Formats: sequence, C-alpha cells, structure tokens
Amino acid sequence: MYTPLRIDPNKAVADIAAFQRKLAAGMGLLRNMREPEYANTPRELVYSEDKLKVWHFKGHRTPTSKTPLLIVYALVNTVWMTDLQADRSMVRNLLEQGEDVYLIDWGYPDGADRWLTLDDYINGYLDRCVDVVRQRHALDAINLLGICQGGAFSLCYTALHPHKVRNLITMVTPVDFHTPDNMLSHWCRNLDVDLFVDTMGNVPAGLMNYVYLTLKPIRLNQQKYIGMVDILDNPVELENFLRMERWIFDSPDQAGETFRQFIKDFYQGNKLLDSTLEIGGRTVDLGLLTQPVLNVFAEQDHLVPPDASRALGKCVGTTDYTELAFKGGHIGIYVSGRAQREVPPAIHQWLAARS
Amino acid sequence: MDETLQEDSSVSDPTSDFMKDYQTLARQSWEAFSRQLPSSPAVNPFAAPASPTSGNDTLERTLSGLKGYFDWMQGVAAASGAGSVPTADWNQQLQQMFGGATPPFVQAFSGIGTAGAEGFAQQWQSWMQAAQRDGLGDFPGAQGPTPAFGLNREQQMQQQAMSLAVFESLQASARYQTLIQRANAQGMERLQDKLAQHAEPGRQIDSLKALYDLWADAVEEAYAEIALSAEFRDAYGEMVNAQMRVRQLQQQQTEQLCQQLGMPTRSEVSSLGERLQAVRRELAALKRQLDGNPGRPATGRQSPVTPSRSTAKKVVAKKSPAKQAQKKDAVKKAMAKPVSKLATGKLAAPRSHSKSRPGTPRKRK
Repeated sequence: MYTPLRIDPNKAVADIAAFQRKLAAGMGLLRNMREPEYANTPRELVYSEDKLKVWHFKGHRTPTSKTPLLIVYALVNTVWMTDLQADRSMVRNLLEQGEDVYLIDWGYPDGADRWLTLDDYINGYLDRCVDVVRQRHALDAINLLGICQGGAFSLCYTALHPHKVRNLITMVTPVDFHTPDNMLSHWCRNLDVDLFVDTMGNVPAGLMNYVYLTLKPIRLNQQKYIGMVDILDNPVELENFLRMERWIFDSPDQAGETFRQFIKDFYQGNKLLDSTLEIGGRTVDLGLLTQPVLNVFAEQDHLVPPDASRALGKCVGTTDYTELAFKGGHIGIYVSGRAQREVPPAIHQWLAARS
Repeated sequence: MDETLQEDSSVSDPTSDFMKDYQTLARQSWEAFSRQLPSSPAVNPFAAPASPTSGNDTLERTLSGLKGYFDWMQGVAAASGAGSVPTADWNQQLQQMFGGATPPFVQAFSGIGTAGAEGFAQQWQSWMQAAQRDGLGDFPGAQGPTPAFGLNREQQMQQQAMSLAVFESLQASARYQTLIQRANAQGMERLQDKLAQHAEPGRQIDSLKALYDLWADAVEEAYAEIALSAEFRDAYGEMVNAQMRVRQLQQQQTEQLCQQLGMPTRSEVSSLGERLQAVRRELAALKRQLDGNPGRPATGRQSPVTPSRSTAKKVVAKKSPAKQAQKKDAVKKAMAKPVSKLATGKLAAPRSHSKSRPGTPRKRK
C-alpha cells in the first residue's frame, strides 16, 4: 500500500521558489501593460437612442449576403465579447464569411433607465433597431442573431413581430429556465424580486459579477489567477488574459424593472417555455415562430445548461429547426480557437442555404 | 513500512529548520511585494459598483487570490518537510495540509459567503451603535419589538424594526455560512476519495500544484452539489431577502433625514423617472399612430407574414388621405411639431469608428 501523497519537501520548496520568481518577474510586465483593447473591427454608428447604439461593421470585402444580420446581445456584460480580439472575433469572422453584420450596443444603464421594461427593450429599442436596418437595406425582414439573454429577447421579438425577421439564430439561449442543473435559476427561485428591485433600483454590475463568480468560486476566484502566473512571462497571452478580465468586470448595471420582469417571468415563472409570457400586453407564443431557426448551444455551459437551450426545439412552430452543439463553454463559444473554426462558418452556411 | 514513508522519514531536523527559515524569508518577501500595492478594500458586492478595472485593481484581485495559494503552499511544504514523523495515515497528513494550520484555504472558500454579509454587518453595526447612542432604539433580538410611546414613538418603532431585521439577516447569513462550511468539509472528503485513486506507483501526487488542482476539483464538486440543493436555495433566498429588508429600512430612515434637511430623496427622483418613462411610452405610441403604424395588433397571436423583397416604404401600409388627416389632427393636439418615423432616436450621420476612439465602451461613473 502506497501513500497517494509523495511530495518531496525539497521539490515543494523549489516549486514555491519558482512560483515566487515567476510572480516577481511577471509583475513587472503586468504593471507596465496598458489596458488591452478589444478587436475594434472597423464600424460605423448608424443609429443611437438614449444609451443604445447600433453599429454597422465593415469587413475587408463586400458582403455577399443579401440580408443583413443584426446581433442582439444580452444586457449583462458588454457586447464586445463578439469582437473581443482580432483573432478571436465572431463579428470579424462573420464578415469574412460574407455576412453584413450589425450589432446593438445597449450601453450602460443608469438611474434614468431604472424604469425601462421588457416591453421598452423588446417592442421599443429592439424594434426600432430592426426598423433602422430594414430601412437601410430596403427589406421587409432581416436576420437576427440573439445571444444568451439577447437570444431570449430575439425569440420574444420574433414571436411578436414575425414579419420583420427572416431567419433567427439563437446562441446559448435559455428557453427552459427550470432544468435541474441551472444553478442561477435555482438560486433566484426564492428571491423576493419585488423587494429586491424596490430596494436596489438598478442592479449593480458588481453584484451580478459576484453572483457569477460564486457559481464556481474556487476556479473563478483563485485557480485561474494561479494559472495566470504561468503566463506572466508571455506578453501576448497575458494581454489576452487581461482583455478577458476587462470584459468580465467592466459590465453594465441592469435596469431595475427589466430585471424584475426577467427574473419573475423567465427564471421563476418559466413563462417563455409554456407560452404564458406577456410583453407589452401581448402573449409571446413561440409556437408562432415559423421562420427557420438555428439554435447554437455549448455543451459545457455552466450558465445556460444545454438542456435549457435544447428546449427550444419543442416550442417553435417552424419546420425548419436546426441545432448546433458546440464542444465548449458559455464564453468559449465565441472566443476559443475551435469556435472560430466552427461557429461563424456554420452560421453563414446555414443562412446562405436560406437566403 | 512502504517506500514513500521511508523517504519521508529521512527528512531531518535541519531540513525542518531550513523550511522555517525559508517560510520566514518567503513571507517577508511577499509582504514587501504586497506593500507596493494600495490596500484592498473589503469586498462588498452590494456596495456601489467600483470603477472599472484598473491596473491596480487587477493586481489586487490577482494577489488576493494568489496570497491564499501562496500561504497554503508554504504550509504544505512545511508539513511535508517538518512532518518528519513518519505516518502511514495519509489522511492525517491531508488534514495537516488543509486543516486549521492553513486557514487561507478555508478562508478562500468560506469567504464567498461572508463577503456579501460583512459589508452589511459593518453597516448595521455603525447604524445600531448610532441608534443606541441616541437612545432611540431598543434591541429586541429574538424577543421581538416592544410597544413604544410618546413623541419619539415612530422613531422607536422604526429602530426596533431595523434591529429585528438585522437580527434576522444575521441569522440567515449564519445559516448560509453553515452550508458553505459543509461544502468545504465535503470537499475534503471528496479529496480523500480522489487521492485514494492515486495510491499506486506512477499515479501518486508529487507536486503542490497537482494537489491543489485535485482539491479545487473536489471542493467545486461538493459545492455544486450543495448549491443545487433545496436547502441551499431556501437559505440563499432567505439571506438575500433578509439583507434587502435591512437595506430598505436603512433607506427609509435616510430619506426621512433628507426630508428634514430639505434634500431631494431617491424615492422622489425615482418617482419622477417612472412618470417620465410613462410619458415617453405614450409619446412613442402617438408617434406610431402618426406614422400610421399602430405597432401592436389587438392580439399577440397573429400569423407570420411571409417576407418579401419589397421596399421599406411598402412596409408601412398606405392610409387613405382622410384617415391620415384624421390621425394627424389627433396627434397635433398632443404634439407641438411633427416627428419623423424614427424620431425617438437618432439616425446617425455615418461616423466611422477609429481605433483610437473607444470602441472601448465608456467607463461607468
């Protein structure tokens, strides 16, 4: 019988010394590093309203797609995950495929936005953004790509304004919020959200980030920084790491009323799934979605479990429903090397077949 | 006695002394290194959001995580080296490595729960101290509030309500903490199970990093299981709700003070915002009417329209002149000047984004 622990004290000391050396040497580099930029793919502002902006991206080539693609991101975190860095940019990759890409940047809500509702976001902001893109291209309907919560918004929007959406793509989008592995949903099930929003007003980004970190507390609060020590001597990898840190923590507050509704109706009530959701006095019935739908989800997603996304297939009325399972996590689906090779090309091919 | 234990027993006292010296040196070096940074404030996720990540913030965040790891490594190295007493009980060795002698690891986990509660506890403390000093409050604890009389009756009742809310919140936080500690303990049990699978030559854990990674796997698994339990869900909800009740009472008392000082309160500003947003919605509805696009059919269950390639102008169905005039008259009463179709927002004159400009989202204040 052997002991499973065979840590040589001298090796342990050497490990500690090496760790310390790396840290000391790397901190000099870290201290001198500037705030990493996002990919900043060339783009022009085509519409703005309150804090919202609609960007039109410019690729190296003229788009081959006749129908523009509007990306609808979540309200949590910033939209720049889609254009994080030059070699890890979903936007840039879509442009290279030939797509004509627009993006809604929701901005950073403050007290003035406290009373924005889901109706304001979906039937107001989003609808006007869609109209802008439609008018620019003189089209009745455009393609929507909704991401995470933005995917839920896109589903609602398409159900309420079906004639304005030609094809719908959802990425890591929750539809069934009550799958047993959905930790976020589990935690907020007993939350008195009225008391919460009445008290907090807008929900601070710091609080949201704190909750996300506590989903995997050791990995996200400690282990990943230990891993960072190994790349402290690599400026490129370190910059990538810091860019991701920036994206994670530079995030917007949540408009109070929208948060209240989203928690109540989606997380607690699971109303999107059973078509009892009402937005702006109208029922959101996913069964009315007859557009082609591509549902992309991540198999190792700890925020939106795969089953939460897969549920869409049973709800939509369309006969043209496609699923794409990606081997990765909620963030990796945008920024991993595999994602660059697999996801944008798949989206483009799917759209091209339905152009 | 097995081979490994023979190796372990060969560690002499001089090595142990060396470890102590090394630990001291390493600690001093870390402290000197840490002094280069500004002190890190206590984490309070319910406080106003901090400014976006700065260079120092990144360093602080990084270091706070690394410090626990660093301390733990030293502790384990000491346990490995100074543990010159041979023992066949590796579980005991494990307890030494992760037990009370190395609190940073335990703190790293249990701190998850306290981080949110600490800020509140501090707020409550000062609040209660102030109330006590002014003689306004009686701290009912578990006994509940007692009747109050006279001129300061309302203030006394409010203070008692606050005290009770604080008491309940602390109880809820304690319940949550118990579950976090349980996750920590179960993580240790899982670690033992995982290590048992490495008790053969070639599979033994021979580095601090490998041991740490195994522990991280174990404790995350244990935590995930507990975090998905009904008990945790109840405790979590209860804790957040209790904290919100305290915060709400704090806000009410602050607002009363502001009113006395003639200062605008958050409720008043918020109320104005609510009314303004309602007006904006009505205005948007009027604009849609003016454009001949009511926007929302009577029922949400409408049939999808087959997309066509017609122009955007065709999207808006043309109305008869009489109908248009009727609508314009109605809207004129409510609006001073005509609006364009997208007057809610601004159609931007094409403005290219350059790299020197923030594509870079703006910083929050």
